[in-house]
Amino acid sequence: MTAKQQELLSAFVDGELNQQELDELLSLMDSDENARADFLSYQFSSDVLRGYTSRSEPIDLSNRISAALESEPAHQSAKAAGEKARVLKLPDWFWKQTAGLAAAASIGALAVVGVIDQPQNSVTPELAQAQPQPQVIQQQPNVAASNRWTVGEREVEDRLNNYLVDHNEYAGASGLFSYARVVSYGEE
Amino acid sequence: MNADQELVRRVQAGDKKAFDLLIMKYQQRIIHVITGFVHDPVEAMDVAQEAFIKAYRALPGFRGDSAFYTWLYRIAINTSKNYLTAASRRPPVTDVDAGDATIYYDAPELKEFQTPENSLMSDELQQAIHEAIQELPEDTATAIKLREFEGLSYEEIAQAMDCPIGTVRSRIFRAREAIDKQVKAVMTGGEEQQ
Repeated sequence: MTAKQQELLSAFVDGELNQQELDELLSLMDSDENARADFLSYQFSSDVLRGYTSRSEPIDLSNRISAALESEPAHQSAKAAGEKARVLKLPDWFWKQTAGLAAAASIGALAVVGVIDQPQNSVTPELAQAQPQPQVIQQQPNVAASNRWTVGEREVEDRLNNYLVDHNEYAGASGLFSYARVVSYGEE
Repeated sequence: MNADQELVRRVQAGDKKAFDLLIMKYQQRIIHVITGFVHDPVEAMDVAQEAFIKAYRALPGFRGDSAFYTWLYRIAINTSKNYLTAASRRPPVTDVDAGDATIYYDAPELKEFQTPENSLMSDELQQAIHEAIQELPEDTATAIKLREFEGLSYEEIAQAMDCPIGTVRSRIFRAREAIDKQVKAVMTGGEEQQ
């Protein structure tokens, strides 16, 4: 073993190797038993010096651990696994057709919703009063007189009632948000 | 990216040999940590093996938020505790934080179980290493001291000593060679000193 190679072993004790040197070290350790022995010796002296061991001689478990790991499968990096699991690229015509179908389905759904809402929205004020609407609060000019919040503080109570009256007036007037009329501010 | 990070990346990409290097680098420390729990040296080696195998299996999930050794240390502690629980022996009450991974050895609860012979040998090794450093040329001694005692990187040592990184690297290598001779001499009872 050359002095240069021994220097490599010493630098590995300190974790001071670049990628290329690690390649050299791996191949050296694989091919030269003396390199393994020298590295163990350098590492042992360093461990003794730092108090990381109080043994009288170095122990090498690497062979028996490697033997135990022989049956273990080698790991596969996430990147490599990701590359293998890559999804097939679909052709452009597929995406164009899918987008067209999605747009058509959306328009169809809007049309259905519009038809369902139509009778309710087209009811004249007179008919609306004639139809029984048990769950809908009748809009009256003086709503606050019969349906009110009851809150301890007068000021808060007035403000809440004003909000609710405004809400019902605007919701009913717009005709767009028919569902908003189910909101009740009356006492049960 | 430091060497550990690069080795981890390689293991995650399927290079088992890279894990072998990580074992070689950290096995003494891991055995030392585990012996603090398990006490019996032979059992400690079995638990260390189990810890490394668990680490290998868990490595795909290691994202590098902490240093590799800190992560490995945590696995070693948990494996030791599980081992003691399975063997119906109580793990130490003192919990060790992974952040203390590099300084835990001062905790009396986790002191490695030592025979008097081991302890004496260990003291002799320490003494031999310190003597070897004292005999080194000043530049070489300074480089190894800054590395081993102060934990400085090669770049920081190069700045402190006002020399190229390559020079730092070769000085530290020469120091290690000298230390290694002394250590082997102690281990073989002085035969290699001649």
